[in-house]
Amino acid sequence: MGTVVIIGGGPAGYVAAITAARKGQQVIVIEDRQLGGTCLNEGCIPTKSLLESAETLEKVKRASAFGIAVPASGVYVDWYGVQQYKNSVMKKLVLGVGYLMKKNKVQVIQGKASFLTDRVVKVEKPDGVEEVAADRFIIATGSEPIELPFAPFDGSWIIHSSQAMSLSRIPATLLIVGGGVIGCEFASIYSRMGAKVTIVEMAEQLLPGEDRDIAEVLKRRLEEDGATIYTGTALSGADAATKTVSVQTGAGVEEIRAEHVLVAIGRKPRVEELGLDRIGVQYSGKGIQVDETMQTSVSHIYACGDVIGGIQLAHVAFHEGEVAALNACGVEKKASYRAVPRCIYTSPEIASVGLTELQARERYGDVRVGEFPFAANGKALILHEQAGKVKVIVEPTFNEIVGISIVGPRATEMVGQGTVMLHAEMTADAMEDFIAAHPTLSETLLEAILNATGQAIHG
Amino acid sequence: MAAEVIMPKLGMSMVEGTVIAWKKQVGDPIAKGEGIVDISSEKIEMELEAPADGILIAIAVNDGGVVPYGTVLGYIGESGEQIEHASHAGAESTQDVAAAAVAAEKTEPVSAAVTAENTTPAPAGRKGSNLRVSPVAKKMAEEAGLDLESITGTGPQGRITKEDVEKALAKEAASRAETAPQPQGTSQPAAAPLSSTQPAVEASKTASNQEVVERTAVTGMRKVIATRMLESLQQSAQLTMTAKADLTDLLALQRQLASELEKRQEGKLTVTDLIARAVVLSLKKHRLMNSAYLTDQQEPRIETYGHVHLGIAVALEKGLVVPVIRHADQLSLLELSKAIKSLGEQARNNRLSGDEMKGSTFTISNLGAYGVEHFTPVLNPPEAGILGVGAIEAVPVYRGEELQRRSLLPLSLTFDHRVLDGAPAAQFLGSVKDCLENPLSLLL
Repeated sequence: MGTVVIIGGGPAGYVAAITAARKGQQVIVIEDRQLGGTCLNEGCIPTKSLLESAETLEKVKRASAFGIAVPASGVYVDWYGVQQYKNSVMKKLVLGVGYLMKKNKVQVIQGKASFLTDRVVKVEKPDGVEEVAADRFIIATGSEPIELPFAPFDGSWIIHSSQAMSLSRIPATLLIVGGGVIGCEFASIYSRMGAKVTIVEMAEQLLPGEDRDIAEVLKRRLEEDGATIYTGTALSGADAATKTVSVQTGAGVEEIRAEHVLVAIGRKPRVEELGLDRIGVQYSGKGIQVDETMQTSVSHIYACGDVIGGIQLAHVAFHEGEVAALNACGVEKKASYRAVPRCIYTSPEIASVGLTELQARERYGDVRVGEFPFAANGKALILHEQAGKVKVIVEPTFNEIVGISIVGPRATEMVGQGTVMLHAEMTADAMEDFIAAHPTLSETLLEAILNATGQAIHG
Repeated sequence: MAAEVIMPKLGMSMVEGTVIAWKKQVGDPIAKGEGIVDISSEKIEMELEAPADGILIAIAVNDGGVVPYGTVLGYIGESGEQIEHASHAGAESTQDVAAAAVAAEKTEPVSAAVTAENTTPAPAGRKGSNLRVSPVAKKMAEEAGLDLESITGTGPQGRITKEDVEKALAKEAASRAETAPQPQGTSQPAAAPLSSTQPAVEASKTASNQEVVERTAVTGMRKVIATRMLESLQQSAQLTMTAKADLTDLLALQRQLASELEKRQEGKLTVTDLIARAVVLSLKKHRLMNSAYLTDQQEPRIETYGHVHLGIAVALEKGLVVPVIRHADQLSLLELSKAIKSLGEQARNNRLSGDEMKGSTFTISNLGAYGVEHFTPVLNPPEAGILGVGAIEAVPVYRGEELQRRSLLPLSLTFDHRVLDGAPAAQFLGSVKDCLENPLSLLL
């Protein structure tokens, strides 16, 4: 039995810890803050809780469409209650991770770790300093929001995503810099909660990684909810005194006042205070360099999760954490990024897996694209959520399904089926006699596949 | 739903496998990961682990059954559970198969399931209806006319993925380029020529002044040898002791016997045969050397055998095989000699069955032909001993005060210290030496 020290107790770190413990190692997790990392404490989980509150509000507002009369004056947002609910969800999950650590006999030390040598880390704890030695290390310190050089985070006016989920009240106006996943999710939360939201995105569309037609559905919806969206636009200045930012649009400079400015332009790996230079672990601004087994340039030190850059998603971190721990325990395993679903919990939800249409066209040339709108789906009609569509991309030679994009109700759950198809390397013809339950939203996926091969029934 | 126990594909060239012995009976509780049935391919023998917890609810292929890989051998499920359907095409219904198998148990070693499987043509003429392959990989291979059977899958449970097919296609293209006539008649690497049924060799050939690196995938037999040898060295307490036996008298006797046998046209008697005989006789005297250290169950145990199944290591171009002479202790010198020759011949022609390569209790490895003296043979687990035989060398030896020309044979005995200590191992080695130096004892 050897000792494995894991720096960071987020998705990559705690999965690595459990995996290593099950392989019979003595495992120590060093976590600066709460177990669960960004995901549980200031990312995936709390934002989804807020989104669910926004969703519930929307549902109540639309209740009359379903024949349920709700007095308009009786509906309001109890922001404190929204926060309480979010905190209770987080607390339960954080306790759950703590329980898993205990169950697997993983020792958790609270403190900030940095390498003294390649075998010893110094831990600055609330009550003093401790040195911890181990024969293998896994670095899983995650990432943190990137600042704008001319408008650093001040925690009150210029804020980052962690601060944006714990505002003391719903702001009247919110300006979001960055129309990526995080920016769009916050836009979807606060615009539905009643804030006047403005998004400023440098690229020509929201969600630059996804297909334009998919992002367009979200854009229309956000605009319906009262948001203003500037694409192809850069922030050029910010004045805290007047709470005004200036944006450079094609038409000239425009000034926008906002109660808060949420900067969501990306996340950078936390590599700086680890003492990596002392021990020769190679890294760059993009993160710690690792091979497919998550091994760093120092053979007994591994790294996984956001700190290695790549795809910054919790479920990718889970996978990398497992791969890192297995290799650290002598079990050979390579990370596989073959079918990683991407979920955006806006309203409507967006979820995709594999290639976008644009990427597929670049790689395969003339691909077959099958689409099916939720407007033609019975269940979507019942849900009263008919915006959006499913798009399936099939490569032309073997009919392999190489990409699926969904924008619409429950997209993030539906993408699971698509992920199975891509993971299993399905071809469109192999899905021809597939039976989808009726009435479900999932029927749209089947219809889109059939559409790609020209055989849709209801389209 | 019941979990299937499936005959795995153990190597590239494996077509069918043999069920050697079920370690569990129908109705026995099974823990996932527990060894439940011994199987073998033509090359190796292994224990199959239970894929799930539960109860062995049916055995579809009985001991001695020979079936294509992918065939369901048995089912693990809950008590009283019925097997719902057979996942493999060909058999009508697994329940029938299981029932038929049980019925056939007493009369025939090969079960009805096997017969059904063999006589029903598999769909699309492919024997591997159980071949795990992704839909797109299948289409790609079909399009390219590539035999899926020749591809090793790297996906879950050996599933052939798109990447595997792409790699195979790239290799095929490379091999085509390689075998195309080239002006300066490049010398082929010593390895076997590329073909779809052999581990593909990825040769990156360049001009003569550059470095040539040949990458060979570790698969099939090589992989088995690699795994077993590393396991042997890592998981036993093996050490080697050496001695030299004076073979001068034995060589004289062997010449006499050989010429007599030749007259009678009874084949040849070699020194190897006499050494094997000496080992068998010594094993009968020192039974602890004829043991195995087993860790397949919770408590490790030592099994000491009354019978001698003698393994004779044979080097083939593709790697090492160890044909086994069963009950070597019940064979006369002449019978032993014939058995060694026949099995060696079969090994070289790649015609050994799984049965003929399993169950050895002690192994002899002879490197004398290569001029090797002493060496450190690696135990063939779980056996407790292996005797390495070197090259006979004529040297001057003092016999009393007189210097004589004697023929000495280097012997290297590797033994497992977990099973026996140095002294009994030395006694065994001494006994082999005695037998060889008093060759008449070998005839009695």
